[in-house]
Amino acid sequence: MSPAPLRLAVDIGGTFVDAMELDTRTGVVRFRKASTTPARPWEGVLAAVEALGTDLGEVELFIHGTTLGLNAVLERRGGATGIITNYGLRDIFLLGRGNVPDDRMYDFQYERPESLVKRRHTAGVRGRLNHRGEELEPLDEVGLREVARQLVEDEGVISLAVCYLHSYLDPSHEQRTAELLREWYPQVTVSVSTDIVREHREYERTSTTVLEAYIRPIFERYVDELEKGLAAKGFDGRFLIMRSGGGSMTSATAKQSPTHTVLSGPAGGIVGGGYLADVLERPNVLTFDIGGTSLDACVIEDGTAVVTHEAELEHFPLLMPSYDIRTIGAGGGSIAWIDRGLLKVGPESASAVPGPVCYGRGGTRPTVTDASVCLGYVDPESFLAGSMPLQAEAAVEAVRATIAEPLGLSVEAAAAGIFDVMLAKTVGAVRQITVERGHDPRVFSLLAFGGAGPLVAPLLAREMGVREVIVPFAPSGFSAWGMLSADIVNDFARTRMEVLDEVDLDDLRRELDEIGGEALGSLREQGVADDVAHLENQLELRYLGQEHTLTVPIGEDLDPEAIRRSFNELHEARYGHSMESRVQILTARVRGIGRTVRPGLPVLPEGDGDPARALTGRRTAFDFGTRSAAEFAVYDRSRLSPGDRFDGPALVDEGTSTTVVHSGQHVEVDEHGYLLITLEEAA
Amino acid sequence: MTLDGATIEVVRSYLLAAAEEMRTTLIRTAFNPVIYEVLDFGISLYDEKLELIAEAPGLTFFLGANDFSLQKGVEYVGAENLFPGDIVMLNYPYWNAAHAYDATLFAPVFLPDEAHPDADGTLVGYVCVRAHWMDLGAKDPGYVLDSTDVHQEGMLFPGTKVFSRGKAVHDIHELIRFNSRMPDVVLGDLHAQVSAIRTGERRLIEIMQKFGKPAVDEAVTVIKAHSEQSTIDALAALPQGSWTAVDWMDDDGISDDPIRMQVTVTIADGTFTVDFAGSSPATKGPVNMPLGATIALCKVVLKNLTSPEQPSNAGTTVPLRVLAEPGTLFHAVYPAPTFTLWTGIVALELVYKALAQGMPDRLAASSGGDVPGFMMVGDHPDTGEFFAISNNDPVGWGGTPEHDGLDATIHLSESTVRSTPLEVLEARSGMIFERLEIRTDSGGAGRHRGGAGLQRDIRFVSPGEFLSVIKKTKTAPWALEGGLEPKPNQVVVFPGTEREARVSTKRVPVQPGDLIRLLTAGGGGHGDPADRDPALVRRDVSEGYVSREAAASVYGVEIDE
Repeated sequence: MSPAPLRLAVDIGGTFVDAMELDTRTGVVRFRKASTTPARPWEGVLAAVEALGTDLGEVELFIHGTTLGLNAVLERRGGATGIITNYGLRDIFLLGRGNVPDDRMYDFQYERPESLVKRRHTAGVRGRLNHRGEELEPLDEVGLREVARQLVEDEGVISLAVCYLHSYLDPSHEQRTAELLREWYPQVTVSVSTDIVREHREYERTSTTVLEAYIRPIFERYVDELEKGLAAKGFDGRFLIMRSGGGSMTSATAKQSPTHTVLSGPAGGIVGGGYLADVLERPNVLTFDIGGTSLDACVIEDGTAVVTHEAELEHFPLLMPSYDIRTIGAGGGSIAWIDRGLLKVGPESASAVPGPVCYGRGGTRPTVTDASVCLGYVDPESFLAGSMPLQAEAAVEAVRATIAEPLGLSVEAAAAGIFDVMLAKTVGAVRQITVERGHDPRVFSLLAFGGAGPLVAPLLAREMGVREVIVPFAPSGFSAWGMLSADIVNDFARTRMEVLDEVDLDDLRRELDEIGGEALGSLREQGVADDVAHLENQLELRYLGQEHTLTVPIGEDLDPEAIRRSFNELHEARYGHSMESRVQILTARVRGIGRTVRPGLPVLPEGDGDPARALTGRRTAFDFGTRSAAEFAVYDRSRLSPGDRFDGPALVDEGTSTTVVHSGQHVEVDEHGYLLITLEEAA
Repeated sequence: MTLDGATIEVVRSYLLAAAEEMRTTLIRTAFNPVIYEVLDFGISLYDEKLELIAEAPGLTFFLGANDFSLQKGVEYVGAENLFPGDIVMLNYPYWNAAHAYDATLFAPVFLPDEAHPDADGTLVGYVCVRAHWMDLGAKDPGYVLDSTDVHQEGMLFPGTKVFSRGKAVHDIHELIRFNSRMPDVVLGDLHAQVSAIRTGERRLIEIMQKFGKPAVDEAVTVIKAHSEQSTIDALAALPQGSWTAVDWMDDDGISDDPIRMQVTVTIADGTFTVDFAGSSPATKGPVNMPLGATIALCKVVLKNLTSPEQPSNAGTTVPLRVLAEPGTLFHAVYPAPTFTLWTGIVALELVYKALAQGMPDRLAASSGGDVPGFMMVGDHPDTGEFFAISNNDPVGWGGTPEHDGLDATIHLSESTVRSTPLEVLEARSGMIFERLEIRTDSGGAGRHRGGAGLQRDIRFVSPGEFLSVIKKTKTAPWALEGGLEPKPNQVVVFPGTEREARVSTKRVPVQPGDLIRLLTAGGGGHGDPADRDPALVRRDVSEGYVSREAAASVYGVEIDE
C-alpha cells in the first residue's frame, strides 16, 4: 500500500493565497500565488491549487491556514448570537472588565467598537454554584424554556453561547442547558463554555464562548464548501487546518472548535521555525516575519515556540493557546513623516493600496520600502522577478521632499534615518519578548522570512548583537512551507487552584489522566494512531497571591518537591528572584500531539566554494557597516551552492525577496542552501 | 555636536523601551493584585538633573507623580550620599505625592568609567518605581478611611536605603516585615520593584554606552523642547480664558459635612494655570491631597487636552502652573491625614467642569464624578486566613459632542484598570454576587446621552467588614449644553431591612445573610435630549439602557409594546 505522494499547503493571507506542493518522493517543493476572493474565499483556495496544477488525486495531505474566523469578527459578519448565563448576571460579556485599551488611557472620549452581541440577546436563568462548585440553587429548566423561546423565536438568534459562574468546577448546569437547547432548537448552534475551556474567570470564559458561537456558522459553511470543491477535483486524502497555538487539526474537528484557528495567520512560519530549530540544531530561534504592514516576532526556546494561554481578538479575550507573537507596526509599508523636526516611522501604513510611492499606485508618502529603493537594496527593474517595475525616481523624490529637506539631510542619510528609526522601535519590542522569558537576545538565531524579512533582519541582528541570521529558501513562501510539517495537536486544561503542599496527589494524577484521556480520544478521532500519539503534561504555577503564572512541564512522577524546585528555578530565570512563599497550582494542562512524518530537508550537492558563479553584477547601495555608500556584490540565489562563502556588503536576489548583507557580516551557504549570516568576528 | 532628527528619535525609542521593559518586569513579578491588575504604579527615568526623560505610568494619576517624590528624596538623602547599587525608599506622603501605602523606590544610575572600572563612575540619571503596597501597619487593615493624622496611616520612610551598594539592607527589610500585616506580599512587591529598577539601571547604562553621554544629553534636550512646543501649540489652539467651578465631595470620613472644592483654570500666554483657591481648608479626616498629588492630577488634564498619544517627559508639563495654599485641602502639610485620596478623582472632574464653560463643544460631560470602590476584609470562610480584597466599579462616561458616553466603564482617572472577576472575588472572600447589571436610566439624557452605570448586589456568606470607598453620592455629576444630570452613585446597606441606610465612605460590619447594593453613577448628558435621534432612543429602549417611561417623558418618544 503506497500512499499518495504529494502534500499540499495553502495559506490565505490578506491579499494573496499561497500554495505550496511537496513531492515526498523527491523532496521538491513548488510554490504559486493567487488572489484572495473575500466574498467566496474557498474559490481563491481552489484557484491557487489550480494555478499550481497539482493533481488532487495524488495528494495525501491537504493542509490549510485560514484567518476566516478572525475576518468574520473584524468585519462583524457573524449572525445574531445570544448569551445564556446566570440570572442577574446577563451583562457579564457586555461589561467585560470595564477597562479601555491601554493605548487609549488619556482618551477621555473613547468610543468602543461595536459589540458582537446585542444586549437584548442576553438572558439570565436561575441556578447557581458557589466557588467550590457546590450547587446553591438548581437549574431552573422552566425559566430556561422561556428565555430560549424569546431569544430564538422572538429575536431570531441563530447561535447561542452558554456560560455560568463557576462552571469550570462543575459543568453539569451548562451541559443540561445545552442538551435542552439542542433538543428544542436543533437548527441553532450551541456553544458551551466548559466544552471549550475549563478555566476560571467568567468574562474571559464567556468571551471565548461567544467568539466560538459567533464564528461557527460561518466557519462550518466555509469548510463544507471547500471540502466539496476539493472532492470534486478528486481529493481523497486528509484535510487538516492550522491552529493558532501550534500544530493542526482535522477539518471535522475545526468545524467544532473554530476559535482554535482564529490567530493561526502567522502560525505556519512558526511551525516551520520550530522544525528548523530542530533540524539545524539551533535551540533558540527568533522568528521574524516581515510583510507589508507589520513584523511578527516569536521566540522559540529549547526548540519549542512560546505559547500563551490567553490571547485577544479585537480586545475580546480568548482563553486559547496561541503562539506568543509580538506584532510591531513596522513593515515595508510603514509611512515615514516629520513631527516638529523629529523623524517618525509608522504606525500608519500605506498597506497594499495605495502602497509605497515606488509602486506607482497613487501613494505619495514615503515608506520603508521607498527608503530601501533610495538606499539601493531593491533593483527597480527586477522587483518580483521583473513583473512589477518600480518607480525609483518617485521614491527618491518623495523622500527628498518629505524627509530629507525638512531635516536638512541628503536623500541617502534621510533614507538611512528611516531605517534607523524603524530598527530602534523594533529592537526595543523584540528585546521585550526575549527579556520576558528571561533570555539575552544575543543567544538567539534570527530566522528571517516574509517578503521584507531578509532585507531587514541582518541589520536588526547587528543592532541587537544577535550572532546569526538564517534565511531559508523562498522566504516569502516560508509560512506555507512551515505548514507542511505541522503535527496534529490539541490542548486541554482544568483550573484547580490549590496549594502545592496540600495537593492530593492521587486526585491530581486522576485529573491529569482524565484530561490526557480526552486528549488521546480527540487524537484518535482525528485518525492519529496510538503509537505516534504523545502527551505533554504541564502545570501552571504561581506563588500564592500572584496573578501571573509560569508553565512548568511535569513528567510521570508527581513529586511536589521536584515541581516546586522547577518552578523556583524558572522564576529565578525569568524574574531574577525566587521566593519562599507557598506555590499554588492554578491550572493543569495536557497537550496531545500526533506526530506527522515531516518532510525531509533536502541536502544539496556541495559546490566548489566559490560564489563567483552566482555573481550577476555590482550595485551601489548604502552600507550600514560603514554608514556610507559602497559597492555591493549581487548574487543570484538560485546559483549559489552549499559551501559558498562570501563577505558583505552583498545582495542576494531571489525574485520575491532580497537579502541585504552589510560590511562586517559574513555569509555561508549551508548544506540545505540556507544562508547563514554572521558577524565577521564570529565566523 | 548636532544630532539629526533621525538619531534623536532613535535615542528616544531606546529610552522609552527601557521604561517599558521596567514595566513588564514589575507587572510580571509583583505579588499584589493592586499592582498587576489595577496597575497602581508609576515608572520613570530621569537625567541627573532630575528631569523626566521617559516614563511608563500604570495608572493615569501616576503620570509624572514620581517627579515630585524623586526631587524630595534626593534632597533628603543628598546626592553626595548616593552610590552605585543603592536603592532608596520613600513614602512620606507630603514628599511622596501620594498616601503612605504608595512606596516609591529609586536608584541613582552611575556610568562606569572604563579606565577605572573599580571607581564609582559618573552619576548619569535616576530610575524610579512607585507601587501600591498592601499593608504597612496603618491603624486598620485594608484601607484607612478615618485617620486624623499621618501616624495612623502606616510606617513612614523619608528616604531610606533598602539596598546599599547592591546589598539588601537587612535591618530595614526586617523592620518592614515586622510592621506589616501582610509581610510576604509586601516584601514580594519590594523585590518586584527592585527587579524593575535593576532592569532600568542596566538599560540606561547601555544607552549611555551606545550613544555616549553627550549625544544622549543633546537628544534629551531636543526631545524635551519638542514636547514643550507640542504642548504650547496645542494650548494655543484651545479657547483662551479663565473659568471657575465649584463642586462638593461627600465628606472627610469623620463628619458628614460636604467638602467644598473650587478651581479656577486659566489658559493664556502659553500657560495652563490651575488655582485651587476657594477650596476647603485642610480637613480633619484623610482626604487631604499632598501637593505632588494635586500637581499630578493637573498633569493628567493637560496631557489629555494637548498630547494624549505622546509619551511624556519634563517638557510636556512646562506650561503647567498649579496653585494651592499650604494647609488647604489641595496642599496637605504635616501632620494632616492623606490616606483616602479619592479627592483627586473628584477634583479631576472639577477641573473639566471649569474648562467645559469655555469649550463645551470640545469636552464630554461628567463621567460619574468618582470611582466607586469597595473592599472586604475578614477571615476566609474556607481557610480562616485573613483576607483583604478590593474592586473598583465602572461608571457611565459623559456624553461627548460627537457621541454617547461609554456605558459602565472604569472612571477616566484610571480607565485601564480592570474590575475583578466575580469568580475571583467569590473564591477569595465571603461574598456572593447576586446581580451585576446595567442600571437602566442612570445615564444623563441628552442629544448624546451619558453612559449607564451598573447595579451590584452583594450577599455576604461570612462575617467581616465591608468598606465602601466613594466620595460623591450626595450630589449629581454635571451635564453640558442642555443635557440632563445622570443618577449619582448610591450605596445602600441592608436594603429592605430596618437597618437600611445610604452611605458613602464607610466601614460597615457585615454578617452572613446581609445584603449591600451598589448603584454606580451614569455619565452626564451632552446637548438637549429633544435633539436626540428618535431611532437611537428606540434602540436604547430595546436594549434596556433607557426605560419606555423615560423615552416618553424625557425624550418625547412614545414606544408601543
